[in-house]
Amino acid sequence: MIKFLIKGLIRDKSRSRLPVIVVAIGVMLTVFLHAYITGFMGDTIEMNARFSHGHVKVMTRAYAENMNQLPLDLALMDVEELLNNLQQQYPEYAWTPRIQFGGLVDAPDENGETKAQGPAAGFAMDFLSEGSREADRLNISKSIVRGRMVQEQGEALLSDDFASKLRVEPGDEVTLIGSTMNGSMTMYNFRVAGTVSFGTEVLDRGSILVDIEDARLALDMYDAAAEVVGFLQTGFYDNEMALNTASSFNNKYTAAEDEFAPVMKTLSQQGSMGQYVELSNVWAVYITMVFVLAMALVLWNAGLLGGLRRYGEFGVRLAMGEEKGHVYRTLIYESVLIGIAGTIFGTATGLFLAALVQEYGIDISGMMEGSSMMMPSIIRTRITPVDYYIGFIPGLFSTVIGTMLAGIGIYKRKTSQLFKELEA
Amino acid sequence: MKYILTAFLTVWLVTGYSQPKAEEILERIDQNMSSENRVFESSMTIHGKRSSRTITSKSWSVGDEKSFTEYLSPAREQGTKMLKLEDQLWIYSPSTDRTIQISGHMLRQSVMGSDLSYEDMMDDRKLTDTYDAEVTGSEEVDGRKAWVLELTAKVDDVAYAARKLWVDAERYIPLREDLFAKSGQLLKRSVMSDVVEVDGRWFPKTILYKDMLKQGDGTEFKMLDIKFNQDIPEHIFSKASLKM
Amino acid sequence: MKTALKLAFRNLIGAGLRTWLNVLVLSFSFVVIIWMNGLMAGWDYQAKTDMTNWQIGGGQYWHEQYDPYDPFTLTESHAPVPAGFSDELARGTMEPILVVQGTIYPEGRMQPVAITGIRPGQEILMIPTFALDTVVTDAVPAVIGAVLSRNMQVKEGDRLTMRWRDANGMFDATEILVIKVFSSNVPAVEAGQIYIPLEKLRSMTLLEDEATLVTFSDSEKERQDAGEWVHKSKDELTAPVDEIIKTKTVGQSVFYGILLLLAMLAVFDTQVLSIFRRQKEIGTYIALGYTRREVVGLFTVEGAMHSVLAAVVAALYGFPFLWWQAREGWTMPIEASEFGMAMAQTLYPVYSAGLVIATVLIVVLVTTIVSYLPSRKIAKMNPTEALRGRIQ
Repeated sequence: MIKFLIKGLIRDKSRSRLPVIVVAIGVMLTVFLHAYITGFMGDTIEMNARFSHGHVKVMTRAYAENMNQLPLDLALMDVEELLNNLQQQYPEYAWTPRIQFGGLVDAPDENGETKAQGPAAGFAMDFLSEGSREADRLNISKSIVRGRMVQEQGEALLSDDFASKLRVEPGDEVTLIGSTMNGSMTMYNFRVAGTVSFGTEVLDRGSILVDIEDARLALDMYDAAAEVVGFLQTGFYDNEMALNTASSFNNKYTAAEDEFAPVMKTLSQQGSMGQYVELSNVWAVYITMVFVLAMALVLWNAGLLGGLRRYGEFGVRLAMGEEKGHVYRTLIYESVLIGIAGTIFGTATGLFLAALVQEYGIDISGMMEGSSMMMPSIIRTRITPVDYYIGFIPGLFSTVIGTMLAGIGIYKRKTSQLFKELEA
Repeated sequence: MKYILTAFLTVWLVTGYSQPKAEEILERIDQNMSSENRVFESSMTIHGKRSSRTITSKSWSVGDEKSFTEYLSPAREQGTKMLKLEDQLWIYSPSTDRTIQISGHMLRQSVMGSDLSYEDMMDDRKLTDTYDAEVTGSEEVDGRKAWVLELTAKVDDVAYAARKLWVDAERYIPLREDLFAKSGQLLKRSVMSDVVEVDGRWFPKTILYKDMLKQGDGTEFKMLDIKFNQDIPEHIFSKASLKM
Repeated sequence: MKTALKLAFRNLIGAGLRTWLNVLVLSFSFVVIIWMNGLMAGWDYQAKTDMTNWQIGGGQYWHEQYDPYDPFTLTESHAPVPAGFSDELARGTMEPILVVQGTIYPEGRMQPVAITGIRPGQEILMIPTFALDTVVTDAVPAVIGAVLSRNMQVKEGDRLTMRWRDANGMFDATEILVIKVFSSNVPAVEAGQIYIPLEKLRSMTLLEDEATLVTFSDSEKERQDAGEWVHKSKDELTAPVDEIIKTKTVGQSVFYGILLLLAMLAVFDTQVLSIFRRQKEIGTYIALGYTRREVVGLFTVEGAMHSVLAAVVAALYGFPFLWWQAREGWTMPIEASEFGMAMAQTLYPVYSAGLVIATVLIVVLVTTIVSYLPSRKIAKMNPTEALRGRIQ
């Protein structure tokens, strides 16, 4: 029976081609849109994760309480051991230490006297150790304005505006003057490897990015780090999973009354990111619902149209003595087949498009010139498991329901009328 | 603040028990200080939240205008040098081979993480030039009789509007000093102890220095070794000597 | 033409459910596009209004040394208010604000803050400076923002030691009493600042008659830089808002595009079927003397009329919805102030006539094009064959 129907569908292109194309396009749009909304809403989350919050972050309790003051004296110690533990216990995350610090960057003239000086916000990350993905997380290769990425110890990236203000070029040496973990004044030389621009005023006016080992030397933080951030290997924030990880980690340290005991916070537990995570989920659901509803209406219509196209054929079949019920049922079966074919085809193309945009992104930086906000300049889609089945809602159900409604016409009309349509 | 540093180096004359005039005391101290040169080694213990650190240094100074300090330990600070000439301050760090002038807001940074700022070390004007002093009575400090001096700023560009000084009535060394804001709020306190005799002069070997607004246990200075009237070559007080 | 419209309308209505499904989808597009754009416009408007009300008034003069991102500049960035401002100052349409670096010690922790002196009676900004008029004998009355309150764990009624330096660098310290904690939608005014009476701060710092900023209410007046005072217009100060809105708008337009594409898919499908099923009718039209172009026109109008009907339907349920939204606002389930820009928790969409007209025009135009494309096939039909209903 199914074989027969399939044969019919394949041989009669008017029965199969257009409906499948319509369903496929509709499903493709739904899948792509869902991935797009997830990506667009998630971008701000990932941006925050990459630049500061991580998907999860480990700090000392005391540091966590005073996080906005960057209190280095409250930093984590014995980080190597902590990192090993984390990597063993939670291998689904990539763990990396970071230090944020404040200081002055001093540029010397040819005599070694101060030529220019300015306050700097320092970011120390693991740029150099093998397999570190920190540079990618910050999208440094795309953000480089002059020079190149840090390639060895003792090198630093300066924000481009800052470098101009200090009148330094890649290759020049600058001195960082800061405070160590103990509060001592410290000086440390860096060679400017390159300059960067992130498109956000706060970061672009005075940042210095250095490798964490340099920062540890400079700030007297041997085997210490202000924070250890974890990123899910999937690359995308999963709130539920992060919360589980954090509570499992924190359970191990509940006994410790030590204010320097490590504590883990998820992205959603830092600042108001939790509310944003919530918001973006709500938004994604709303928008997807509106869209799936619209899509259902369209495919319902397509189902109706598909049924109407074939009134003539039904007339013949009825005239030949086929039961109305049988005609109706075969119609439904066919629509199921069309729905499935369209949905599979549509989901595949939708996913393909979404994967392309996830990989390459839509660059809107041209539209964003002169932006000074921490805003994603490339919009990316994000494929989630939902995308693999969401297409079935409109693709299969709406098509079938549409056909069911259209098929009622078979019962309403007289055989003779249907037959007349064939004649027409 | 002045006394915290100068206490290490000042000669205190024993002048009996009758209540002297405040100006006299200060004048005498100031005279002694400005004519004095000294070489000393000291340690500074900073009581941090997690641990305490001790930093040792060797200093050469003439009066209050010129001083040169080299840090000896810990290894991290070793070789760091600091030169102060009048109201200018330079720091040399051997790891960067750079000499940086500390000015403006950088002066307000803490010295090696202590409760003391660079600026606190920079005020080298004579107390008699900047403060009106008055002896307001006598109190017992650590079992010793001390004159209580109240100093009020007579110029408006000093950091502290008022100071209160407890001076050992017999040995004429300060035992305690409180520094006040214009409003009268107590800002900082230093307490001197371990008074010993060096070259016939009384000298407090330990000073506990504390920022009263901040939490914490303050910073402790200890004089390890001090010599007066040494032959200090003039070239030591030059920027060139920082790099040597 | 009139007949064509009538005919098209009848044909559409005759198609019943199919038409209404298309119309419904199209009307969705109308409402969603207008609503979302309205939200963006509302956000933009609101953010700027909030900034005007809380932070910048109608614009500001900055001392040339002033840099809000660099607290070290505060030591240098003050000067006497220019004499040229005295008229506006007297009328209360200009407010001098003095900002000085200070330190507070909540529970013995040292925290840098910007001490902001502002007249208690000022009426340009919504900061509750009136609370600074409270008589406190043993402390300085202060007002702080909710962000500072949260970050430093300071509440209304708390007393704190605050330390600063006067113009000569002499230390001074006093107790402040937090009279009021305010919350706005502008994080910049809430974080890291302690508001105290202007005259008090001036006398505390020996900076009589001086200011760091001068905020004015009249944004229309022509203004130039005045000596060491740099004029910052409202547009300049609100530029970051435009940027964030622009990104959001660009991102959303992809969504509209897809939604519209979907609606077009429906219209296209309908058109193809119409032409397929109604060949006999087409043949008849031509037999009756219609030119092919006229028949194409008829079908195009019929398809395009979907969008007109959709506009009517959208108006029926969209108008009350949009109106309700504009009145009640759309409340986000989050506190938005920590995003670092002015953003209210409830956004009230603002719809402009331009927005509505543009949306209608775009949808009608796109629908017409999509209706026209399949209709072109008619022009290629052989009328006799068509009349017989042969599939071609």
